[in-house]
Amino acid sequence: MLLLYILRRIVWSVPLLFAVTLIAFALISAPPGDYITSFAAKLSESGDVVDQARLDALRERYGLDEPFLLQYWYWISNAIRGDFGISFEWQQPVSTLIWERMSLSVTLALATLMFTWALALPIGIYSAVRKYSIGDYLVTTIGFIGLATPNFLFALVLMYIAVVHFGSDVSGLFSDEYLDAPWSWAKFVDLAKHIWIPVIILGTSATASLVRIMRANLLDELHRPYVTTARAKGLSEFRLIMKYPVRIAINPFVSTIGWAFPQLISGAVITAVVLSLPTAGPLMLQALLAQDMYLAGAFILLLCCLSIIGMLVSDILLAVIDPRIRFR
Amino acid sequence: MKRTTTYVTSGSVGRVMAGLMLGVAFVPLMAFSAAAQDAIGEAPALAENVAAGELPPVAERVGSEPAVITPLEAIGSYGGELRTGLRGSSDHNGILRVVGPQGLVRWDPHYTEVVPNVADSFDVDAEGKVFTFHLREGMKWSDGTPFTADDVMFNVEDLILNDEFAPTPARYTTGGEPMKAEKLDDYTVRFTFTQPYGDFLAELAAPLGQNPVLYSKNYCSQFMPKYNDNIDDLIVAENAADWQNLFLQKCGDLEIPARWGNPERPTLDPWIVTEPYSGGATRVVMERNPYFWQIDTEGNQLPYIDKLVMPIGADTESLILAAIGGRIDYGLRHIDTPDNRPVLAENREAGDYHFFEAAPPGGSNMVIDFNLTSKNPELKKIFNEKDFRVAMSLGMDRQAIIDTVMLGDGEPWQHGPFEDHPYYHEQTSTQFLEYDPEKANALLDGLGLDQRGPDGMRLLPNGEPFTFKIDVIPTFDPTWVDALQLIQQQWAEIGVDMEINAMERTFFYQRTSESNEHDAAVWNGRQSWVSGQLPHQIVPVSHDSRYGIPWVNWYESNGEGGEEPPASVKKRLELFDKARGLADPDERRATMLEMASIAADEFEVIGLSKALPTYGIVKNGLRNVPESMPSSWSFPTPSPTLLQTWYWAD
Repeated sequence: MLLLYILRRIVWSVPLLFAVTLIAFALISAPPGDYITSFAAKLSESGDVVDQARLDALRERYGLDEPFLLQYWYWISNAIRGDFGISFEWQQPVSTLIWERMSLSVTLALATLMFTWALALPIGIYSAVRKYSIGDYLVTTIGFIGLATPNFLFALVLMYIAVVHFGSDVSGLFSDEYLDAPWSWAKFVDLAKHIWIPVIILGTSATASLVRIMRANLLDELHRPYVTTARAKGLSEFRLIMKYPVRIAINPFVSTIGWAFPQLISGAVITAVVLSLPTAGPLMLQALLAQDMYLAGAFILLLCCLSIIGMLVSDILLAVIDPRIRFR
Repeated sequence: MKRTTTYVTSGSVGRVMAGLMLGVAFVPLMAFSAAAQDAIGEAPALAENVAAGELPPVAERVGSEPAVITPLEAIGSYGGELRTGLRGSSDHNGILRVVGPQGLVRWDPHYTEVVPNVADSFDVDAEGKVFTFHLREGMKWSDGTPFTADDVMFNVEDLILNDEFAPTPARYTTGGEPMKAEKLDDYTVRFTFTQPYGDFLAELAAPLGQNPVLYSKNYCSQFMPKYNDNIDDLIVAENAADWQNLFLQKCGDLEIPARWGNPERPTLDPWIVTEPYSGGATRVVMERNPYFWQIDTEGNQLPYIDKLVMPIGADTESLILAAIGGRIDYGLRHIDTPDNRPVLAENREAGDYHFFEAAPPGGSNMVIDFNLTSKNPELKKIFNEKDFRVAMSLGMDRQAIIDTVMLGDGEPWQHGPFEDHPYYHEQTSTQFLEYDPEKANALLDGLGLDQRGPDGMRLLPNGEPFTFKIDVIPTFDPTWVDALQLIQQQWAEIGVDMEINAMERTFFYQRTSESNEHDAAVWNGRQSWVSGQLPHQIVPVSHDSRYGIPWVNWYESNGEGGEEPPASVKKRLELFDKARGLADPDERRATMLEMASIAADEFEVIGLSKALPTYGIVKNGLRNVPESMPSSWSFPTPSPTLLQTWYWAD
């Protein structure tokens, strides 16, 4: 039953994926001009001069004068075989460009998710169980501030304070000496020393919203008859809450895991730009701005795949923890 | 065979002119080769390598004819690193401007004359068609392999003139004919053109003129089918699309990030890439080239500074933050806009830096190009009336705009070189600058725009409202949109309805320079008419000549595409071609000024204010940095001020 469900979901994903990539590729090509226009405009803006003949030759070499569907076909047919093409901007194969950035994105996203959950779950439970207590008001107020402050603004403020008052630099994920170094224990420690800043910045608003969700869901459950019954039967308060209402209230957490996957790439792009984080977001943003089609296309393709996989994972997890879904 | 023309310089005009022209060819020749100095000093780290037998001695590395450079203030000491910032990707020219285009020739630090660089000296024949370059004996690439005439021949014949690689850039052709290159001996090459080409040396000194010495034959030839029979295997192994892509990946090109993407590629630069500029990079690091071929006057090998470190900030704000935080030692590009000046000034002490001036050689901060080739026939007709453009200029209260938008920092100006420049042309720069709405009204009435709508705005003769849009990039220069808003109010007072059309830069470029869809557009007029620069506000020869893009296309396609320009423009295009060929500085100046006169009479482009100097920052303690340097793309600020001589005071 569950297996069949999963299988059906996977089969359906394939045509969906193609449809989405076609739309994505069309969107990338939609802005006026192409990579060459953008390249020339950017140089021209910096007061630099470009060689027109060279630009025309590049346009021809890259096949940018070909019809849209043909360009899409070149791209997708190669992508299926694992060849994502050459980045116009960097003259490097796209595949070598994206993986390093992806791994840092995954690390950051996982760390943020852990941080968020570790904070949001207990606080949410606390503020539901102790509704309208001073503690509840306190965390709720802090939560709202966290929710209302845009991440990038928080990042800018933090950077400004760090530079002006402490003379230190909070941007990036590594110290200078580890930037280009191969992975080692020392580099990992260095990463750990840096990553908490973006984790806190990125985690605050998510934590705040999850606290609210947890609180609201739990409040719905706390006065259900089954809770009263269990309490009447003498179950300790802690066990009672953790075993029944929390298990139901956690449902939305699990169903949003799916969103976390595409968030790996697209999440917090602006914050990553502000903080100069070497994650996938800024690279994708730049590829889109430069109309570097194959590089941007590879990211979009990954985003699509991750969304579809993420939803699948969410659905499966939900079915596992919540019997009501399984048997519907 | 040797040239015979000489000329006498007279006064300051002559001094500046000297550099612009071929006439100066022999002056540096004496200054440089006569030095014949031995290299005796080198960086301590290199000395250790020599002692350990890993490197040949310094005298051997620099060759027998190193370039001798006189430092600005003092002989420096070795060591330290220089930190400067890059803004995101596509800032490869930010690296180029620091490392410098090591072409056969370069501009001197004052932007007045072209002097030998990679070439030890050069001769030009009397006609200005034959250019002979004498290379430095014993000079080497950064990997220690010799640099000889074969490298130049490889660059010219296999790449510049090889259409399979890329079309031949216009600067290596005259009258549609590409130049010819010959190797006279191992250290002498000769380029021959079919027609006189006075601007050739200036073209070679520009950042895009480095082609003849860009690639090492020894290394880069392995990426060409002509030299490597197993090229197909290499293409597959490197995941490249074709050999051209493989070549660009490995050896780069003048103007792409990949130029700084391969640490293995030998160069002639003072510093060589160790942490490359590639897609995932968060910083670029360059270290001294142990084989760099320049020494100071006491025989110490340059550069003084060990290492360049360039963190890549994703946006300008992070560059500013790095600057005020004292994490940048030199900064100009991207941070020198007027709105950043207060914050940079405020933090001078905290960041331990001071300002230097970057002065453009002329021009204006903002020009409005009415599209004289507009696709809208009504607008085209009106825009092409000189009286309309004069009225628009008289309808602008420049001083008010300067006081409000530019904090008083400016001076009403149309465009063109400043008063102290030999190419100064009074009419071009100063006509129609006064604010005279009455006269403007009268001129507009005289054009048949005398009917007004209910809102007081003028109507076209056919009764439709007269309105047009001015395209502008708001992020390019924040003062532009502010200035346009004042101009909009001022023009409304004379009944002219203008709409400000702000847009993203790629869209702007596509709309204006590629498809000619604009009514009018804003750009800067920082160009001047110095050799090697395009005077695109007085003659339509570049994609920044937004008053007549189809004319540019007509010119570039030799009359096959675009739109045939009117007689006045054709005449100027002829004069431009003629001026580029002229070897005699006085004749060239006269020709350029003749062109300027015609342009001034036509009055196609409306300027706002003089392009005043901008300010960069430099760390206290960094020496041999000029307090003021010319600012231009052709003189790729700051590299011709020779960063290899900058050093840290103890």
